[in-house]
Amino acid sequence: MKSTMSRRRLLESVGLLGVGAVVAACASGAGTAEKRKMYYLVPTLLDEFQTESVKAIEKFMKDVGYETVTLNADNKTDVQQSQMNDVMNLKPAAIILAAVDFNALKPSIEKARAAGIPVMIFDRQITATKSDFTSVAGTVDIGYVAAGEIQRLLKEKNGDVKGKVLQVLGDPADPYTLDIQAGFEEKMKAFAGVEIISLPAMLWEASNAGTIVADQMVANPDIDLIFVHAAHLAVAAVASLEAKGKKPGEVMLVSSNGAPVGLDLIRKGWEQVEVEQPLYAQAAALAMFADLVVNKKEIKAGKYQVLGLESTVTLESWGPNIKIPGAAITKDNINEARFWGNLKAPTDAIQSVK
Amino acid sequence: MLCIFSATVPRFFQIEIFANIVEHSTFVGVMAIGLAIIIIAGNMDLSVESVAALAAMITGILFASHGVGLGIAFTPEWLVLPVSLLIALTVGGVIGAFNGFLVVVMQMNAFIVTLASYIWVRGLVVAVSGGRSAQDLPPPLRFIGIETFLAIPLIAWIAITCFVVFSFVMSKTPFGRHVTMIGGNPVATYRAGINVGRITVTTFVIAGIVSGLAGWMLAIRTSGATANLGTGMLFQAFAAVVIGGVSLKGGVGRLPGVYAGVLLLSSIQTAINLMGLPAHYTQVILGLLVLAAMLLDALKISVRRRLA
Repeated sequence: MKSTMSRRRLLESVGLLGVGAVVAACASGAGTAEKRKMYYLVPTLLDEFQTESVKAIEKFMKDVGYETVTLNADNKTDVQQSQMNDVMNLKPAAIILAAVDFNALKPSIEKARAAGIPVMIFDRQITATKSDFTSVAGTVDIGYVAAGEIQRLLKEKNGDVKGKVLQVLGDPADPYTLDIQAGFEEKMKAFAGVEIISLPAMLWEASNAGTIVADQMVANPDIDLIFVHAAHLAVAAVASLEAKGKKPGEVMLVSSNGAPVGLDLIRKGWEQVEVEQPLYAQAAALAMFADLVVNKKEIKAGKYQVLGLESTVTLESWGPNIKIPGAAITKDNINEARFWGNLKAPTDAIQSVK
Repeated sequence: MLCIFSATVPRFFQIEIFANIVEHSTFVGVMAIGLAIIIIAGNMDLSVESVAALAAMITGILFASHGVGLGIAFTPEWLVLPVSLLIALTVGGVIGAFNGFLVVVMQMNAFIVTLASYIWVRGLVVAVSGGRSAQDLPPPLRFIGIETFLAIPLIAWIAITCFVVFSFVMSKTPFGRHVTMIGGNPVATYRAGINVGRITVTTFVIAGIVSGLAGWMLAIRTSGATANLGTGMLFQAFAAVVIGGVSLKGGVGRLPGVYAGVLLLSSIQTAINLMGLPAHYTQVILGLLVLAAMLLDALKISVRRRLA
């Protein structure tokens, strides 16, 4: 009888312990899930770089134990500011911000950090205030790389760095395109024999770029090279060249951001160089340092390997900053998997930096 | 304005530049036809730009061979031309009919209905493409974007034909007269025994179909489609309609005037492309030139009145 009672009590105790353990696990699980959630505020989903960045960040963050929720600001600064305010109330582990406007988000970043929520900056560098981590390719640097390649192409064609270049910017209100322009023109300044005609494709709209190229090919038929600030604009530029009876390579074409359409144009011979933003590495770097950022641990300056690219972390006035080198894609290296335009995201799990 | 630009902007006065102006005006021009008809009928359609973008993206997804394009092909190859056109027009017509149904049958405000369509249709473009682009349309479609007839690109001829046909419809047919009457006074038109509801729905369907056509041509011109294709064209179409003399109150307006408005905007844009202005100032200059053109027009009318 006593042993039956003891057994029943034992079973009851085990049962209670079990229920307690399940409840505790659920509670802890819920807490953990909430704690491990991040929000990625993407500026727009109307271009392929941003679309692929969503997939890459969600995948890499999952590798290191974070769930990522993405909110699209539709290229509107005020919408992104509201998103920041809303997300702060959800107390996420961190906010990843690719700002619509580089500096307009400054007060929101400061507010989030004051509330104890770390803010990581992706792709679009913000130097006006401190953030917890920045992962960028450097838009000015893209201009530098493009300038180097364009100097090479002009020299190959004209025997010297001279000729006429049509530069098709994106929307002139977007600091991204202005930075590329600044970097490009800074490096081209030394070459007096190069005439640069710069025109903006309003709202980054492809047919606007096509119109510019069509007009300029009539007004300046001696244009040697066209430099467009995004690959999707290059497609419309090529359509206009084709309509003007040009053959692939007759007018050289250089583009930036490394989107799949740009790589297709290289394969067809229309485009010579695509300056890549290392999207996958930029996104992977965020995941590598996420634990340090979330746990507010020190990030050390130095060299780090990010998906095989040697990248440099420096401690800047705006916080730890990792700069990943952009690359020039040509027909010789176009098939390398590291280029995001080939849409072969790395499958190996990302490891956190300890 | 053409004379002023020809005299002042270097390399503007060329046949090829004038052909470019006509070509550039194609997409906004065709979109503006539908918008003008709706406005003359006393309504509003804010969805034309997004409808064009959706038609362009669906054309791109189905028939382009790179990016998100499925590269659907036919035998004989030229069949892609009528099939893709039919699909684009159907896409536009369906959305136009949906807008018209909500406005006429459900008695909803046209501004709100088409504003919602402007948003959800553009959202659909992003959703169906996943934000990616479709590229490389087959040669029979590219033929329309590349070839010319009498030095004017074929797509521009399509736009010109549209303007001629719809100008005739609006000025010489009972339908056109009824549309104008509805815009002027819908109650009186109804009492005169005209089916106001049916004609209003038809105007929305026409606006949708011509927007679909604009999108189809836009895809052909850019050899594919991106998710942001056509962004900003709604406001250009509105500007062309108003510059062309269509009253936003309805009941007043002629399509040749709208085409003149489109050509004016296109020539200003081309002049800016040739002026070599710093990128940051182009929008300011564009706005000021449109204003200057309108002031010149007002001055011309005032002088004419005094002389009469």
